[in-house]
Amino acid sequence: MSFQKRIQIPLFLFFLLLLWLASFPLPTWVDVGWFLKLDPLVSLGTMAVARSFIPGLAWGLAVLGIGLVLGRVFCGYICPMGTTVDLADRVLRDKRAPKRNSFEEMDRFRSLKYLILAGLAVSALLGLGWHFFFSPLSIITRFYALVLYPVFTLFTSVLVTVFGPLLSTLGFDTLSFVQVRVHYFSANLFMAAMVAGILLLGMVQPRFWCRNLCPAGAILGLCSRRPLFRRSVSEACTGCGRCLRACPTSAISSDYVTTAHSECIMCLKCQEVCPEKAVSFNPGKTGSFPSREIDVSRRKFIAAGVTGAALSAVSMTNLHHLHGGLDPRALRSSTLIRPPGALPEPMFQDRCIRCGECVKGCLTNTLQLVWLEAGISGLWTPKIAARLAGCEQNCNLCGHVCPTGAIRPLSPDEKQYAKIGTARIVASRCIAWEQNKRCLICDEICPYNAISSQFVPGHTVTVPVVDENKCNGCGYCENKCPVEGESAVVVEPIGELRLASGSYKEKAEELGLVFHARDGVEDHFILNEPGAEGSAGKSEEKQSSGGTALPPGFIVD
Amino acid sequence: MNRRDFMKKSAIMTAGAMLLPKWFPGVVRGAGEPNIVVASGLPGPAVNAAVEAMGGMARFVKSGQKVVIKPNMSFPNPPEWGSTTHPDVVRELVSLCSKAGAASVLVLDHPLRSAELCLERSGLKAACGSLPNTRVEGLTKSEMFREIQVPKGKSLKSTMVMKGVLDADVLIAAPVAKSHSASGVSFALKGMMGLVYDRRPFHMDFDLNTAIVDLCTVLVPKLTVVDASRILSDGGPSGPGKVIPLNKIVASVDMVAADAMALELGTWYGRKFKPSQVKHIKEAHERGLGNMEIAGQAVKEVSA
Repeated sequence: MSFQKRIQIPLFLFFLLLLWLASFPLPTWVDVGWFLKLDPLVSLGTMAVARSFIPGLAWGLAVLGIGLVLGRVFCGYICPMGTTVDLADRVLRDKRAPKRNSFEEMDRFRSLKYLILAGLAVSALLGLGWHFFFSPLSIITRFYALVLYPVFTLFTSVLVTVFGPLLSTLGFDTLSFVQVRVHYFSANLFMAAMVAGILLLGMVQPRFWCRNLCPAGAILGLCSRRPLFRRSVSEACTGCGRCLRACPTSAISSDYVTTAHSECIMCLKCQEVCPEKAVSFNPGKTGSFPSREIDVSRRKFIAAGVTGAALSAVSMTNLHHLHGGLDPRALRSSTLIRPPGALPEPMFQDRCIRCGECVKGCLTNTLQLVWLEAGISGLWTPKIAARLAGCEQNCNLCGHVCPTGAIRPLSPDEKQYAKIGTARIVASRCIAWEQNKRCLICDEICPYNAISSQFVPGHTVTVPVVDENKCNGCGYCENKCPVEGESAVVVEPIGELRLASGSYKEKAEELGLVFHARDGVEDHFILNEPGAEGSAGKSEEKQSSGGTALPPGFIVD
Repeated sequence: MNRRDFMKKSAIMTAGAMLLPKWFPGVVRGAGEPNIVVASGLPGPAVNAAVEAMGGMARFVKSGQKVVIKPNMSFPNPPEWGSTTHPDVVRELVSLCSKAGAASVLVLDHPLRSAELCLERSGLKAACGSLPNTRVEGLTKSEMFREIQVPKGKSLKSTMVMKGVLDADVLIAAPVAKSHSASGVSFALKGMMGLVYDRRPFHMDFDLNTAIVDLCTVLVPKLTVVDASRILSDGGPSGPGKVIPLNKIVASVDMVAADAMALELGTWYGRKFKPSQVKHIKEAHERGLGNMEIAGQAVKEVSA
């Protein structure tokens, strides 16, 4: 196994392990979002759009620093996208060495990555971040987390269903109660298609994405024009050309000696194949390491920047754009419930890199990526799909896996106060309100005891009523409502707390919200006027006339 | 013995056991086993004392039998909230079953919230998970359930019940005593809903109270132990609400009698209620599932 593979594969497995560990309860010994923070594009792009230094993302700057010394080792060894591309290339590509592979011959698409970077940079400086769309770590995290992980859970679940009974008939009942929860994610088909496209490009050139498209690679390339350690070729070179044909990024010039260091991913293949041991990677002195640069015409460069500026201007004038003010707030979707601790919307969209960590880790699978519900700039941001599942009261995972702080890492106690919305009973759909059925599932499930069962004139059974000051917006009511289709109790963003800093608890208390019943606070089902239990006198639950009303569920003896 | 036989026989035996005192009052009373036991003390020792007074666990669990205990562990709330069965109650029951020679003990519920969290925060996993031949599981997937018929059901005609329960020899109900906003209170009878897969029809399609009684015609515990160490007197079933310590454990072979006794012991929403004021208890009594009239039954009080 080559030197590169011996480092690349363990790191890739580590990446998968961290992604696997991004679930409740979160391990304390490791930062599961670490790989995302290494991506220099995520780092620079997010800081630029957010207009602030984000300490957690300093890792990406460190990777750039490494670029000055060791060139694009990040691309060759660390980046899980690079490893995935390598794996796909192994399958997709002809094993025989290519006929043409010199830097000059393979120059056609190379400058694209710099053009993409230019467009993204201008856009970011104008305040609109599109780096998430191109960030290799974002793309690949989404792919493994939202495309392959659910397939894996499905596969495991089928295995358990098939082999569980078999094993228990053989006397091993270890599997008989294993319940694998299959995860479901929106947008997974698109994510799969996107990565499939990237990998299939490998049929055109090996590492097509890395050498031609990746803007993170472009940033690293800019830092790796003269790395301290770089390829040099000694006098022993016979010009056999093996190194040139082995190079996965076509970084070697047709003279076999000159190298495009900004394209070299330090895989050391040229050194390994050289029969004369003429190739070495040493700390260099200027002059002895001839190099080639990529020509990007000024015209193209400016065009790319203008395109970035134009795209951001058009996006910003889109009706649903939320940046730079809350003007189009009236058009905000009333089902767009953000995860607890999400920053105020414009800041949230600036910081969110759409990596899908929170969505993957979400304990109840309620977090889902949206398409255009939050406007064009909110593409693939996470929302709580309450009909699917509630936000678990005791879980604060999403904020703790978020690599950029778009969702604040809250303590379990603070999280209770991070109100994400308010439930509203849709009486016309509710079988208690509308059909006099004894259903109080929403009251039963409400973890904050914000829904109470009340006697309301005109109704023969108690009906659910929401106390908005107790409602945290968790959505368990919407999830468990037994009505077919749309729920009869829906969570809406009314009253959500979105704090950029400071304590949710203090803010909530200031606003008079009560998320914990304190000692002595009784459940406040409300007994309206005695005898006011309703007009339908035929009900057997009719209260004794003039007597005291009974608590919900009890009948007259 | 297959499932149907088991169901049939246990139904007949229970019915018989309930009718026995009417026909031969002397015989049953003479055996020295009371209909209802109310034990006072700390949860664990009180359970031990109550089961002892009922004639010991060997009366219910024979050597080599498979036992299912149905506590309430449907919410990720700590024991102090009173919305789940006290861990000491369940642990004591498990260890009594093991001492009686049970081949395996399953502690099962179908939690409303994340199963993992419910088991952890209720304290039941920690209390019972490491006991020998014991498993504590919150089952939520349909693969874990099997459809059964409810021949005596007035509204509920069939439902999916946990396979573990259907395959077991002995079912023990170990509910916590708590208020319930839809059914008044939730003890052993209402607690049986925690063994079914789809509770939606109970609320949507049927009268909840009638459906609870329907279900209890097929899910009949051999022993009911109601945890009234503290009761969730209002705010139930999930809490938070007013928790009142009673330091009592109620045991009976008759789940209706156990429910009635627990109801009378407690104060609900600040007042007292009669069993006939809880519709599902009343209906269970009227349909012959058990006896809610405490007066006239042999009640033994013990303390631990």
